[in-house]
Amino acid sequence: MSLARAPLIALAVLAALLLAGLPLVASGYVLALAIGMLNFTILATAWALFSGPTHYISLASAAFFGIGAYTAAMMAETVPWPLVLVAATLAGFAVALVVGLSTLRLSGVYFVIFTFGLTELIRQLVTWYEVIVAGTVGRYLFLGMPQSTIYWQLLALAVAVLVIGWLIGRSRLGLAARVIGADEVVARHSGIDTTRTKIVLFAISSAIMALAGAIMAPRWTYIDPAIAFNPMISFQVVIMALLGGAGALFGPLLGAVPLVLLFEVLQANFPNAYSILLGAVFILIVYGLPRGVIGLIEDWRPAASRSVATLPSRAPRDPNVLTISDLKKSFGGLSAVDSVSFDVRPGEIIGLVGPNGSGKTSVLNLISGALKPDAGQIFYLGRPINGANPETIARLGVARTFQLVRVLPSMSVVENVIPGFAFRARHVTGAAAHEEALALLARVGLEHRAATPASELTYIDQKRLELARALALEPKLLLLDEWLAGLNPTELEEGIALIQSLRFDGLSIIMVEHVMDAIHALCDRCVVMNAGRVIAHGTPRLALAEPEVVRAYLGEDDA
Amino acid sequence: MLLLDILISGLVLGGMYALISMGLTLQYGVARIMNLAYGEFLVGAAFLAFWLYSTIGISPLAGLILAVPLAFLANWAIYRWLLTPLVRRAKSRGQLEVDSILATFGLLFIVQGIALVLFGGQYYSYGYLSVPVSILGTTLALNRVIAFIFAGLIGVGLYLALTRTRTGTAIRAIAVNPTAASLVAIDVRTASAFAFALGGAMVAAGGVLVSMFLTFNASMGVVFTMKALIVVIVGGVGNVLGALVVGLALGVIETGVTRLVDPGLTLAVTYALFMIVLLVRPQGLFGSAVR
Repeated sequence: MSLARAPLIALAVLAALLLAGLPLVASGYVLALAIGMLNFTILATAWALFSGPTHYISLASAAFFGIGAYTAAMMAETVPWPLVLVAATLAGFAVALVVGLSTLRLSGVYFVIFTFGLTELIRQLVTWYEVIVAGTVGRYLFLGMPQSTIYWQLLALAVAVLVIGWLIGRSRLGLAARVIGADEVVARHSGIDTTRTKIVLFAISSAIMALAGAIMAPRWTYIDPAIAFNPMISFQVVIMALLGGAGALFGPLLGAVPLVLLFEVLQANFPNAYSILLGAVFILIVYGLPRGVIGLIEDWRPAASRSVATLPSRAPRDPNVLTISDLKKSFGGLSAVDSVSFDVRPGEIIGLVGPNGSGKTSVLNLISGALKPDAGQIFYLGRPINGANPETIARLGVARTFQLVRVLPSMSVVENVIPGFAFRARHVTGAAAHEEALALLARVGLEHRAATPASELTYIDQKRLELARALALEPKLLLLDEWLAGLNPTELEEGIALIQSLRFDGLSIIMVEHVMDAIHALCDRCVVMNAGRVIAHGTPRLALAEPEVVRAYLGEDDA
Repeated sequence: MLLLDILISGLVLGGMYALISMGLTLQYGVARIMNLAYGEFLVGAAFLAFWLYSTIGISPLAGLILAVPLAFLANWAIYRWLLTPLVRRAKSRGQLEVDSILATFGLLFIVQGIALVLFGGQYYSYGYLSVPVSILGTTLALNRVIAFIFAGLIGVGLYLALTRTRTGTAIRAIAVNPTAASLVAIDVRTASAFAFALGGAMVAAGGVLVSMFLTFNASMGVVFTMKALIVVIVGGVGNVLGALVVGLALGVIETGVTRLVDPGLTLAVTYALFMIVLLVRPQGLFGSAVR
């Protein structure tokens, strides 16, 4: 913890203590308002915990809030209050797990649509259960809990949520979520288990909302499904988080406090037009403040990271780094990769060449796990990796760059490199990762641009950054997809020297390349592909001179 | 003949879903706007038809002549003034999706709020042509049958317009790939606005037809949006024929669940089917995998 943080933390503790004293002095009306603020601060912060970094928008806050409230309504008469709170939290967590497992593997928009209807779905299910099974339409809740007790519970939860948010922001989980938000494909190839990250965060966020619902339940003496599952809550939560800024920990707090006041004023003065005004406020925020209040205050927050988990690493010995045998992949009727076999020995550079559309990138995608092979075997350091996830393969030490450069545009150059350190088998985090990231940037010639947002780099520098990100995984096998394409002669020379130096570090490299000078200068062997098949194999000089290779590149007459 | 009964009533209801979903597939599949306020325009049109019928005595079928062009203009204006800035601002399709979801989420509450101010929260219905007719032994209200016939005519008209005309071909091209479409001299922005407005006109037609036989209130739009979204995704985004088939199927399934299981569980069953399809075929039943 840096010294600069200490006064801030002291201030936060002081604020919490002062707020804890509020019920002793405040009137009932002020206390009710404060309860509303705390409730929405909790909900909006919990919402931003998941939706902020990942950019997966959840419209189901009301569903989880309602699950908590309804659990409390059903159990409070018979079970001690602390157990009710535990049960509500677990119920929210469990439902979120089911929803997450079934929808978070898919692209973001399905998740949004699903959450859009989730509140209505759960409301109908609970109504059906109450009418058909329990034979009621709602529940009475006579706990007689004073407002101050509810207030103190909410205050404790609000503090807890902010602490949890702060811890997650500093953990590998938080880093993983931010990388997912920036580019999900890059995340997987940096060794991040994206599905697990999303589900864990969504479940934590939903459990907090359910707990808030349970704490708020005693404020109503009568609860029916329409009260507990009020879609307006989902809507208000999203507005507040967006107004404050969902990307920062205190953003939702900055949105919740003024908006609860505004809603109070609107509801008191324009009860009929309330929904219209709410919609208008919302649209204004979406158009005018896409990054929220916090986005105006600060540009970005430097994020440190700390380790939360360890990963087993083992590597049985095998003479070859990579052995591919009889690999097949087709798309519909097109056979993109057809019975491809070759191997890569330690320290070797293999050139994968061939005309456009011959299946070179598909081979890289099969090795790195972006595609699953239809048939064939891929052994990496003696263990089969065919069909494994990209993140698993990346953690084992197979790193790649992309033909069309993919950097994380919203993150700084050095932040682009850190995920590799944080998620590889022998992971490094925090200040150490930062240090190593800078060393790696120096190696590719980007050390002077470490703090620049990646989107501001030139095309060449973005390529360098991609290479640094790949190297951060500490790979034993590096897959370069036309990394030298588009470089000018000087840059090409530097690039060749850089790749050469990687070989001296003991890396094995497969490079898809069209730059023949580079292939002759670097490659020990070439694998030439055409129409999905290997048509030649050997030293660059011999392989590229084969008649079939000339035919593939230049056509029949020149052979 | 319970099964035949379910099938016929289900198809009649499904015809409405198909019509509504075809409009949404135009908005989402072509104009790339995920419109969460979609169902509110259905409810709006239903209120318009109700108002015309109960105050001036204009039949809802004649009301279509007013409601459809009005909805077309309104949706065109929404796309032009509200959504075009977002389209311009978006760097990627994903960002446009997020922005349009948020903007139309706000729009939902505005439209719903206006309906609440004008008509309050209570349920409305009016009896127009609710005389029983018998089809293959199944008794149906005449208004449902007429609504189904109109939905069929509009749907077939749209399908022919999309497959037989130049504008229709341009719209289908944009649904496949907007960038490539602009490379073959298709004016993507104008055609997208047209598709969005056309989608809005179709949902208004759906709203007028639905109002003839269904009780409705100001906050029912969300349910229709939800059902239309499910149909569009299960049918394959941007695929009009897919929306038609899945819409009809949804009507039959809902009617079946209502008759055989419990009316309170229709949405749960719809959701369950949605999940199964998503897990087995994320590109939709009639969609082709992108990339």
